Amino acid sequence: MISPTALTRRAAPVLACIGLLAVWQVASLVLKNDSFPTAIEAIRAVPDILGDKEALINILASLRRMAMGFGVAVLFSIPLGLLMGRSRAVAAFFNPLLMVIYPVPKAALMPIIMLWLGVGDVTKTLVIFLGVSLPVIYHSFEGAKAVEEKMLWSGAAMGLSPLQRLVRIVLPAALPEILTGCRTGLVLALITMITSEMIARQSGAGNILFNALDMGQYDTVFAMIIIVGAMGICLDAIFERIRARLVRWSEPQFDMPLSFS
Amino acid sequence: MKVVPSRSSEWVKPVASQKPASAIIEIDRVSQVFQTSARKDHLALSDISLTIEEGAFVSILGPSGCGKSTLLYIVGGFVSPTSGAARIKGQAITGPGPDRGPVFQEFALFPWKTVLGNVMYGPRQQGVRASEADALSRSLIEMVGLKGYENFYPKELSGGMKQRVALARTLAYHPEVLLMDEPFGALDAHTRTRLQNDLLNIWERDRKTVLFVTHSVDEAVFLSDKVVMMSKSPGRIRQVIDIDLPRPRRRSELLLDPRYQKYVVDIERMFDESDEAGSAT
Ligand SMILES: Nc1ncnc2c1ncn2[C@@H]1O[C@H](COP(=O)(O)OP(=O)(O)OP(=O)(O)O)[C@@H](O)[C@H]1O
Ligand SMILES: [Mg+2]
Repeated sequence: MISPTALTRRAAPVLACIGLLAVWQVASLVLKNDSFPTAIEAIRAVPDILGDKEALINILASLRRMAMGFGVAVLFSIPLGLLMGRSRAVAAFFNPLLMVIYPVPKAALMPIIMLWLGVGDVTKTLVIFLGVSLPVIYHSFEGAKAVEEKMLWSGAAMGLSPLQRLVRIVLPAALPEILTGCRTGLVLALITMITSEMIARQSGAGNILFNALDMGQYDTVFAMIIIVGAMGICLDAIFERIRARLVRWSEPQFDMPLSFS
Repeated sequence: MKVVPSRSSEWVKPVASQKPASAIIEIDRVSQVFQTSARKDHLALSDISLTIEEGAFVSILGPSGCGKSTLLYIVGGFVSPTSGAARIKGQAITGPGPDRGPVFQEFALFPWKTVLGNVMYGPRQQGVRASEADALSRSLIEMVGLKGYENFYPKELSGGMKQRVALARTLAYHPEVLLMDEPFGALDAHTRTRLQNDLLNIWERDRKTVLFVTHSVDEAVFLSDKVVMMSKSPGRIRQVIDIDLPRPRRRSELLLDPRYQKYVVDIERMFDESDEAGSAT
């Protein structure tokens, strides 16, 4: 049995998508611009792209780089963030460094990286890595800092070594915060992935998009936007599922009503 | 090795008096200064000296903010005192260890572990086999009255229930010394009485050394061999009172015992006097 509220909650994202497409359809019919195809035309072009072997290989290559960059970034950033959160010395060393890197758009570093490492996979993966790292480091740092001291004391009294306390107390206690950072990181991975392929045009989903733009194939351009957008929504939804499962123990029990009228 | 003379068997006495009363914990002129955010030094503990005998049940009684928790943290090795030293079995305390089990005022349960997971954590860390740790933990959970809640997460428990889990979690790894910070503070009168009795039973069976912080005079007198009365700002020991009441103690008998009543009244009066002295200055 699904209650009406649960039904609304589940249907909401679908309704939002349909609404968005409807607005698009109407807008393009009204504007009647060559470079602005209708939603239906764009959707029709989607199977053409996905049916094309070349395009599919490109998209898969993009996803592979994204997974690589994201994975390495998470594996690197979580331990660093946790260490920073629990050790003043580590934080004092890395904080200024990160403050300098933080506001720099990672894509702006690409020309330099391209110069050093070429236009291939390594460069693009590195840029994705940079984009993902910062939010994950930041959230791991904040999460580790907030771990209740008495929890660590309890662990120490049970005989956990400092490293064991980091892995077995700080990590799980900070997990909700860490995963919030990872979720932001995942979306950033997608954004930097497309951006990197826009700058180093060679392969990938971004490359298909901008080639189509050059050739005036606007259906394909918008179809690619739909595909990339759908990819983002799916990845985020899958991640959210995993996240909710991992931190079920920390979710609040009650909604906080904004007023008690 | 010396051959034990056969005569020695005649010397064997009941367990409690067989042990020589040797000091297990010595607190030697400990002071604790805290740097407050106002950049003023705050003397939380001033020149505390206290010896706790092995197997003794010692309560620390005093007003809020007199440094009871701080003193417990120092014995636990979580905080090192500004001056003075604490020793366990003659060895300087330099850090926490499984020989001293804390039960914190804030519970400090692991929120990602269930009740059972929390209680099993210590024994597992100590290398006890999973099946054994499981059985031990379940019996402790039953003892603190939480049977049926094994798979609940801490956020699903009330304050008093969390407090009982914290107690079971510490008992599970068999520390020699229990450091309990108002462990029954959040409980209703009924559960409080039950757990006091359970704690006394465990204590009578294992003769662990217990350092027990409380606000309640009744509780301190009922449980303890010794009550350490503290006064505030700076935190000092006012007086140490030996509670000379027979054991095992039954609550129903004790409440009617004039000696018990006298202890309670005397201690309460002493606190009242110190309040008056404090307000006069
Ligand atoms: N980390 C700290 N930094 C600064 N001051 C502290 C710190 N910890 C404790 N204090 C101060 O030391 C004093 C004693 O604190 P403590 O927590 O030991 O009191 P307590 O006797 O346990 O009180 P309660 O019965 O309310 O738990 C208080 O005045 C408190 O403000
Ligand atoms: Mg306290």
